[in-house]
Amino acid sequence: MNEERKNILDMLAEGKITAEEAEQLIAALERAQPPTSASPAARPKGRAKYLRVMMEFLDEGESGRLNVRVPLQLLRAGVQLAALIPPQALDRANAELSKSGVPFDLTQLKPEHLEALVEHLDETVVELEQPDGHLRVFCE
Amino acid sequence: MPQLLTVRVKRPDRRPIRIWVPLLPVVLVFSPFVVLAVLGAAVACHVFRIDVVRALGTGWRIVSALPGTRVDLEFSRTAVLVAIR
Repeated sequence: MNEERKNILDMLAEGKITAEEAEQLIAALERAQPPTSASPAARPKGRAKYLRVMMEFLDEGESGRLNVRVPLQLLRAGVQLAALIPPQALDRANAELSKSGVPFDLTQLKPEHLEALVEHLDETVVELEQPDGHLRVFCE
Repeated sequence: MPQLLTVRVKRPDRRPIRIWVPLLPVVLVFSPFVVLAVLGAAVACHVFRIDVVRALGTGWRIVSALPGTRVDLEFSRTAVLVAIR
């Protein structure tokens, strides 16, 4: 429940306004605040088509906004690139990862694993709040 | 396949720039270079022992998946939009 709606209901409970007035105020509030289509909660259920990255930030007092929309089909095509990495490059990358303390075997990472990862991105929502910015990553 | 690239730039105290690039005619005009690029990619794949057909297929899939991509950046009073349709 948002703050304005709660205030209206409080005024109704305190008898400051009538039920009819409260109804009119809530209706006016709903007209003033249409649901945002960018909200992941507002989007219709179904297969997601896009990955959205929305960021608002403050840098040296100036406000900025980044809005990126990437088709999930592009991510699916992109993960196919993993199958094209030459084995010798994977071996070198594995060696470097081990040296950095990340014993991860990239040769075990198959395109089908990455595709499964992309397939299950639909329900993923990442939100990061900081005093000087806000980041939201979701699918729609 | 992507058909149209839209670029919009808004800067303070200047007229906004909006460019629509129809991609198919551009690709046709630059087709000799496209053929050379594809040949170069095929040679590179051969050198690095990558399946040429698979690599070109993946490249085509990536290009085909580009429509719908949109990057919109606003900072201060400057705004840049790049959209592919």
